[in-house]
Amino acid sequence: MRRTTIAAATMSTLAFAGALYAQGKPQEIVTVVKITGISWFNRMEVGVKEFGAANPGLVTRQIGPAQSDAAQQQRLVEDLVAKKVDAIAVVSMDPPTLEPVLKRALDRGIKVVTHEADNQKNTLADVEAFDNTAYGARLNDRLAACMGQQGKWTTLLGSLGSQSQVQWAHGGVDNAKKKYPKMQLVDPDNESLNDAEKAYGKAKEILRKHPDIKGFQGSSSLDVLGIGRAVEEAGLQGKVCVFGTGLPSEAAKYLESGAVGGIAFWDPKDAGIVMNKTAKLLLEGKKPTDGMDFGVQGYNKVSVTKGPGAGVIIRGQAWVEVDKANYKNYAF
Amino acid sequence: MKLKFSDPQLNFLVGINVLVLVAATVLSHGEFLDVYNFQSMASQMPELGLLAIGVALSMISGNGGIDLSGIALANLSGVVAASVAPHVVSADDAPWAYTGVFVAVTLLTGLAGGLLNGLLISRIGLTPILCTLGTQLVFTGFAVVLTGGSSLRIGAADPLSAIGNEYLWGVPIPFLVFMAALLAVGWLLRSTAFGLRLYLLGTNAKAARYAGIAQDRMLTATYAASGLLSACAGVIIAARTASVKSDYGTSYLLIAILIAVMAGVRPQGGYGRMVCLFFSALALQLLSSTFNLLDIPQFFRDCAWGALLLLFLASARVDLRRLHTFNPRSGAPSRQSPPGATRTPT
Repeated sequence: MRRTTIAAATMSTLAFAGALYAQGKPQEIVTVVKITGISWFNRMEVGVKEFGAANPGLVTRQIGPAQSDAAQQQRLVEDLVAKKVDAIAVVSMDPPTLEPVLKRALDRGIKVVTHEADNQKNTLADVEAFDNTAYGARLNDRLAACMGQQGKWTTLLGSLGSQSQVQWAHGGVDNAKKKYPKMQLVDPDNESLNDAEKAYGKAKEILRKHPDIKGFQGSSSLDVLGIGRAVEEAGLQGKVCVFGTGLPSEAAKYLESGAVGGIAFWDPKDAGIVMNKTAKLLLEGKKPTDGMDFGVQGYNKVSVTKGPGAGVIIRGQAWVEVDKANYKNYAF
Repeated sequence: MKLKFSDPQLNFLVGINVLVLVAATVLSHGEFLDVYNFQSMASQMPELGLLAIGVALSMISGNGGIDLSGIALANLSGVVAASVAPHVVSADDAPWAYTGVFVAVTLLTGLAGGLLNGLLISRIGLTPILCTLGTQLVFTGFAVVLTGGSSLRIGAADPLSAIGNEYLWGVPIPFLVFMAALLAVGWLLRSTAFGLRLYLLGTNAKAARYAGIAQDRMLTATYAASGLLSACAGVIIAARTASVKSDYGTSYLLIAILIAVMAGVRPQGGYGRMVCLFFSALALQLLSSTFNLLDIPQFFRDCAWGALLLLFLASARVDLRRLHTFNPRSGAPSRQSPPGATRTPT
């Protein structure tokens, strides 16, 4: 027991020394991602580092759990709160799980920025790459252009439980209804369960049932892979238009063969930069305002709306559209 | 509690803790020794610590005992409570009653799950590792069905949130729960007939049977206790994250086993001390927080934990040779009937 007393005494002395030492250091922004070591977040780290290098008064770094587990992410944030970094930018694995720890962060005066979490309450600003409905509509416009604005078409999505994907698919459907009366939607909302194999099976089924189908709009990044394979096997490249969310590295093969007309996504590198830039704004005591220019392609005129908590939601138009000609510019 | 300083395992663990603490302090220029940092670490430990006590208990019971269903049961209990409690009382109108119902349902679910494990292992004679692997999947499955796989926000009741996030005399409440559980289990193992029987059962099941120890009842009680401890972890997880989720903390399973083994709990059964378990859990937490403070990547943390375990096993081996007379004969078959017994082994 005596040892504990001595330890406590030493501890408080050193804590005081530590507090003195902390003065005059550069401000630190830490980005916490869902999981480290996957290409999506490696790409984000490029943006985080780039932003740090361009801002000498700031130290930026990215961390993330080694396993895909909300508990591990929560513990990482917990330690950052204890360390009292200046700002935390987090890509929430599961927004509700992080609420209490982010509240503690805010209580300690840490600036909190989130991404892909428009339902997060304890945040000062949530950065979203785009409005989901507008993104779906945009994909649909490209599909319509390819189809000559007429013919049968359908949609695939990962699952009906995944909110953003449903919004993309329905954004496309509403867009077609409004703008392209000659496009006929058949058997919409096919679930691929985020599995390229299932998407392939669904696409084959649809091609059999509607031999005259002209277009597919995919939602999960794996949808276009399955549809592309089915179209390629049927030898329908160039006759059936396929557009959807996808990753350049994965979809490369089908973009080359023409089975997939084009894909869209948002660049995690840019999202990383904008998150850190927002954190910097907040550290300077400024607030993001509607129509603001973040100096990053797609975030030149963001919309700022009130979020579910005290914070705001910052939305860009940061979809990146690529096809056969330019997918090689994005190496992830 | 009276500590025996002749225990080499305990000395080793305390040494590791001091070492990590000193290293962290020096490397962080004193930043590590901040009261808030210690409060933060103390509130992170209990989730894992409670699960590790459950694993330790099942290991001590011998016969290859282990509880793999801990975190799954913790999540399921939280999910069941979060689904049931709002139908009984409203969190907004009666926060205290809501908290009471929530905690009661969680603990009952945990106890039921633990009893299921215990009965499957003792009555039907399933191998613990396979049985709890199966129930782990069943528990997770139920939780997925109840929540649809996404996380479920729990009612905003202040008393419930306090269990996970508030302090009592500057000590986080989850940590107090953890300490209470440690002391209770420590007392149970050290000073009660149950503890003595459990050590005997784990050391030599055959001898225990000859001595008239009811193996079935002991095993059922042990796994039920483990389930109850999981439920305590479930309450703390729900309170700390303000939500319940079927796959929260999937990485905890192996870490809880790591804590138990590093605490010197003998995987063959018959030995394990709660004070060692505390220092083992503390060492992992200190190491983990140190790495985060010093910006060392998470992959390296896992690597260091592994290295620590190997170091510990190596040191324990040297000490065991010295204490050879205490080494239990763990090879005895446990389900062998004593002569004259009418029951046939399953």
